[in-house]
Amino acid sequence: MNSIDPRVNRLPKVGQPGVIKPKAPLDQFGTFEVFVQPREGKPFQHEGIVHAPNLEMAWVLAKEAFTRRFTCTSLYVADTRNIFVSPMTEGNQNAYDLIPEVADKEGMQESYEIYHLAKRGKQHVHAGTVHASGHHDAMATARKEFKGKLVLNVWSLRTGDIRFTTPDEKDLWQTLPEKKFRDASEYKGGDRLKELIERLNPS
Amino acid sequence: MNLENAVPMNVAAVKEMLYKIADDQLILGHRNSEWTGMGPLLEEDIAFSSMAQDKIGQSLAIYTMLEKLGEPPPDTAAFIRKANGFRNCIFVELPNGEYDFSLIRHFMYDTALALRFDMLTRCSFQPLAELSVKIRGELKYHTLHANTWIKQLGSATEESISRLQSSLEYALPYALGMFEISPFENELAAEGIFQGEKILQERWQQKTEEIIKQTQLNLPAWNTVEAVTGGRAGNHSEYLQPLLDEMSEVFRIDPSAEW
Repeated sequence: MNSIDPRVNRLPKVGQPGVIKPKAPLDQFGTFEVFVQPREGKPFQHEGIVHAPNLEMAWVLAKEAFTRRFTCTSLYVADTRNIFVSPMTEGNQNAYDLIPEVADKEGMQESYEIYHLAKRGKQHVHAGTVHASGHHDAMATARKEFKGKLVLNVWSLRTGDIRFTTPDEKDLWQTLPEKKFRDASEYKGGDRLKELIERLNPS
Repeated sequence: MNLENAVPMNVAAVKEMLYKIADDQLILGHRNSEWTGMGPLLEEDIAFSSMAQDKIGQSLAIYTMLEKLGEPPPDTAAFIRKANGFRNCIFVELPNGEYDFSLIRHFMYDTALALRFDMLTRCSFQPLAELSVKIRGELKYHTLHANTWIKQLGSATEESISRLQSSLEYALPYALGMFEISPFENELAAEGIFQGEKILQERWQQKTEEIIKQTQLNLPAWNTVEAVTGGRAGNHSEYLQPLLDEMSEVFRIDPSAEW
């Protein structure tokens, strides 16, 4: 059946009798992690994921998926597979205590971004940048750097794997504060609804 | 100078220009919003819908400017006029078809619109120059979005390339209709309002070539493409009136209702 509605075309087709074949993998894009800076001077925080065919497309799609409301000064994205995750803890146990103190130093020194989860259910927030030879080394270095800080989970991301917003692209969010019509808070129908109900049901 | 009440020297010429831009934006904004909830993937659905909303917002800003120049208010301009009163090009009223056509139209149209507003930032009619700076910022995302998709899908798979190629060939004559010559070309240029459709078209062709060159798509020679015009004079395809009927359906139930 031909339809302009893509959902109709995605319906499974009726097959041939007697044909048994391996299940086909899902034809879908990989995931990319999105980090947003809500205000100038604030740290970047993890907002969620987007599906995209590549890093550049992920940046483009993340812009509307995560920053079409409220305020935003910048965002960046990275392939999910490039984020390394420490063991998760809870209560008063520090995730840094579960990270080995020293790691293999072999290899080129590069910069890595470190993110902390301070509370379950919250977002990972950018904590700082370290220089290290790999993800394990980055976590070990961060352990020394952020000693004494209680965190439940640590992420590391090689700076070179990030698609940043260029200074030239910063004006993309310029008119965002004027788009209040995208917030539910902009629609205050409460009073008018009350008035209508009273008019319809005079007591 | 009090910008609120600023009036351009040649009001008729400016009105004609503003109507065609606002109508293009309103009609394509409505068309593109037909994809809402049906986009090829959630993220793209959101992005495309969001840009459609930007277009309608920009048309509202221009209809509001027209109102200050003595024209009817935006709701009247958008919902009451008949098809032959609209000045949009035929390109924007064509049905969406498949997503490849919508993407190609988005690419061709927004490339032209971004260049148009870039030219209008230097417009001698100050309120329009200021509005253009703002709109240019929003359009930067629209062209980035379009260019990235075209570059990606224009070199991805056999299917994506052949789909875009056939949409591109279908769209080109209509796309050239965006640059239909206005009866006020000379006045607009002489008064420093707008340099003209010819210059815009040249810039658009150059920019289009620049992006298409980075893909496996092919552009035919420009002189072999004949523009489909008429929209700017109110001569539209059979697709516009049904769109207008649907767009204004709720408004017409009670034009005096307060929203």
